[in-house]
Amino acid sequence: MTPSTDELPAGEIRVLLVEDDPPTLWRLQDALTKAGFDVVAAATLAEARASLARRIPLVLLTDLQLPDGHGVELIRETRQRFPDTEIMVISILGDEESVISAITVGATGYLLKDAFPTDIASTVRDLVAGHSPISASIARFIVRRTQKSAEPPPGPPLNTTRLTPREIDILWGIAKGFSYAEIAGHLGLSRQTVPGHIKSIYRKLEVHTRGEAVFEALQQGLIKL
Amino acid sequence: MTEATAKPASTGAQGLRSRKQASWLLQYVLLQVLIVMLCVLALRHPLSEPPQPTRVSAFSLNDRGAARSVTLPDFVVSRFSMNDPAVYRGSFDWTKDDAARAWSVYLPRFTNGVEVIVNGVAILDSRRDPSANRPDRATPEIAVIPASLLRDGANDLAIKLYVWGPVSGFLDRVSVGPDAVLRPYYEQRTLLFVTLPMVFSAWQGILAVILIVLWAVRRHETAYGALAAAMALGAIQAFLPTAVDQTAHPELSATVIASSAPLESGFVLAFAILFFGRRWPRYGPLMFVPGVLLVLIGIFGNPEALRQSFVYFGIPGLGVNLVLLALVVAWSEVRRQDVPSLLLGCAVTIVLTCWVHDMLSLLQVIPDHRLFFTRLSYSAMLAAIGAGLTWRFARALNQVDGFAAHLVIQLREAEEKLKASFAREEERARVAALARERTRLMRDLHDGLGGQLVSIVALSERGEGGASVGDAARAALKDLRLVIDSMDDIGGDLMLALGSWRDRATAQLRPHEIALDWRVTSPQGLPVHPELRPWHVIQIVRILDEAVTNAVKHAAARRITVSIETLTDASGASSGCITVADDGKGFALAPDGAAATERQTARGLRNMRSRAARCGAGLELISGPGGTSVRLILPRRFPDGDAAAG
Repeated sequence: MTPSTDELPAGEIRVLLVEDDPPTLWRLQDALTKAGFDVVAAATLAEARASLARRIPLVLLTDLQLPDGHGVELIRETRQRFPDTEIMVISILGDEESVISAITVGATGYLLKDAFPTDIASTVRDLVAGHSPISASIARFIVRRTQKSAEPPPGPPLNTTRLTPREIDILWGIAKGFSYAEIAGHLGLSRQTVPGHIKSIYRKLEVHTRGEAVFEALQQGLIKL
Repeated sequence: MTEATAKPASTGAQGLRSRKQASWLLQYVLLQVLIVMLCVLALRHPLSEPPQPTRVSAFSLNDRGAARSVTLPDFVVSRFSMNDPAVYRGSFDWTKDDAARAWSVYLPRFTNGVEVIVNGVAILDSRRDPSANRPDRATPEIAVIPASLLRDGANDLAIKLYVWGPVSGFLDRVSVGPDAVLRPYYEQRTLLFVTLPMVFSAWQGILAVILIVLWAVRRHETAYGALAAAMALGAIQAFLPTAVDQTAHPELSATVIASSAPLESGFVLAFAILFFGRRWPRYGPLMFVPGVLLVLIGIFGNPEALRQSFVYFGIPGLGVNLVLLALVVAWSEVRRQDVPSLLLGCAVTIVLTCWVHDMLSLLQVIPDHRLFFTRLSYSAMLAAIGAGLTWRFARALNQVDGFAAHLVIQLREAEEKLKASFAREEERARVAALARERTRLMRDLHDGLGGQLVSIVALSERGEGGASVGDAARAALKDLRLVIDSMDDIGGDLMLALGSWRDRATAQLRPHEIALDWRVTSPQGLPVHPELRPWHVIQIVRILDEAVTNAVKHAAARRITVSIETLTDASGASSGCITVADDGKGFALAPDGAAATERQTARGLRNMRSRAARCGAGLELISGPGGTSVRLILPRRFPDGDAAAG
């Protein structure tokens, strides 16, 4: 049930694509199919759940705004039921609001809707290989949350208390536009370990259970008893 | 308090007020009458006297050549001579059985001086006792008779009475007997008429010091100055030497003593007028006339004239001042009904009663033992003044406390008002900032996204599908991301904005197979500019976008290098510099600096220059066969307003 992803050929990688806008869906499906992925498409939350019940995908690609619900629900369910499935959110702008809220429920990457076909395929392949993509603006959003400020900053709530100083340094480097190699050089790391750190950052930002979510919201002062 | 409530009141309220005052005045007067009655009772209460057997009453008086037999107490006509005293001759019996006990002669009261001679030997001369020389103090005298002088049986007793007017001479009943019997009576009188006045004078001295300090610190409080003068004068005169023939400046002492009572009463009256808030009357200085007159007579006249003047000016002056003082205090009591005026009023009544008693005694109207109580009763006034001042002081402290509490309340109110106005101001500033941001956003969307969407529409209408529509749409999306990105707070660190730009530029260049080299010369990249605003960021990013687009579209470049460095000039000030260089074919520059090759490139360059100018940045363009280099030199400080944007 848990195949070693690194050796899998593209054809063995099953992707569940959830997108309600037909042209966008065609475009993404085309790009992934041409790259050799096994793509199953769904236009609604219900269809996606039905598909998940039939067969477990290795990768879930989902839009957030769906006709019958929010993509965040699907991500949370999938993350809880199938921990081995890699989840990516499809975003128009790659903005913090959508990407961060997806990360906190278990997504480990994001895909821009207008990305070039080659980029779409390589991003999914990288994700399967354990390399989570992160943009400078997402990194910037996360590191600014690690800085102590008097009032909570705008945007979705985010608990950064579990990030290590090294991980925060890596995020600073990404936010300032440095490449992985440059960051590794500045911090005295091996270039290959940087993507692993980024995946670890995503995992740490995830809120695992309902109880933990309440606990963390309390810690951050979002809820007052 | 009544003043405060009366001001806005109608005539009805005024009538009520005057009725209230009248009833208060009645109560006050009744209280004073009660005090007078108590005083009279106390004054009429006889002092205890030695037992009858010790008294020597039968004397033969030899006065100015005439001899007669008299019974004590006896008065002698006033005179000014010390050379011919009236001589009282009498006798007392002593037996040898009494030799074991000391015998004394006790004189309870006399004016002005006595010399006691037993069996021809003088045993006492009161003129050497400074206290006894004050007719206003009823100083008693006692003298132990040396045992060797006493004879078994009848002994001669002669008393020379010296008189130095204006008071007539007086000799009270004399007692001769065992010292143990007589001394307690002597001690009792000494306590009452010598020790107590001394204690009160000492107290007056302390009061004078306190008041002088008070007045020195608060010069505008002339009332305390006047009272300090009164107290100082009273204290000084009490300790002046009066022993006959032993004083260094007898005239000066006499002057001070004679003028002290009228002057002191004048100062106290002045104090009362000022203290109780009355306007200083035009004839006010008249109250000092008797005292000043006595001082002048003392300096320029002789002792006899001074003594005579004291009777004519000093004593009536004192009385007039006391009556005026009683009126002033009564007026104040009716107006204010406070503790100091009530206390002082009662004290004045006591002193006035004693003064009347002393007058009657002096004029020999009432049968009496010639005891003067005015000085003694003055201590009641001192007590009232002390208590009144303390009361005033305590009330002032309370007022200060109340004022402080009031101030705290006012401060809190002001603080709340300030907070409210601050919140209003903050809200206004927030609304203004929001409006500014909206304007900026609209302009940014209009500049980029709007134009690109319009060109998409135009391309679609012309039927030119495919790549150009896609490029225009992609550019529109890219611009949208830029606008959204620029709204994020980057804390003045331009590197954070450049990081996002690098992501977008890399994605843009990848399909064209152009490599993006990113060179940051120092780990922190560019200097931090706290004044950096989103619109600065948008202008800078659009300049960089334009440079990259030119390289892609017109230069056929294979590699674009972005260098980020911090330049430090001679003065140590640093400024950032961003260079976008390509390895394309370049273009020729016209002499005016604008590109001559293509119209579009020319427009692009013009845009870059104007954007750089709006941010206060410098733009250098170098183009040649080896490629094009756009060098953007950031200002040391970004300008506040977007003046050039119009």
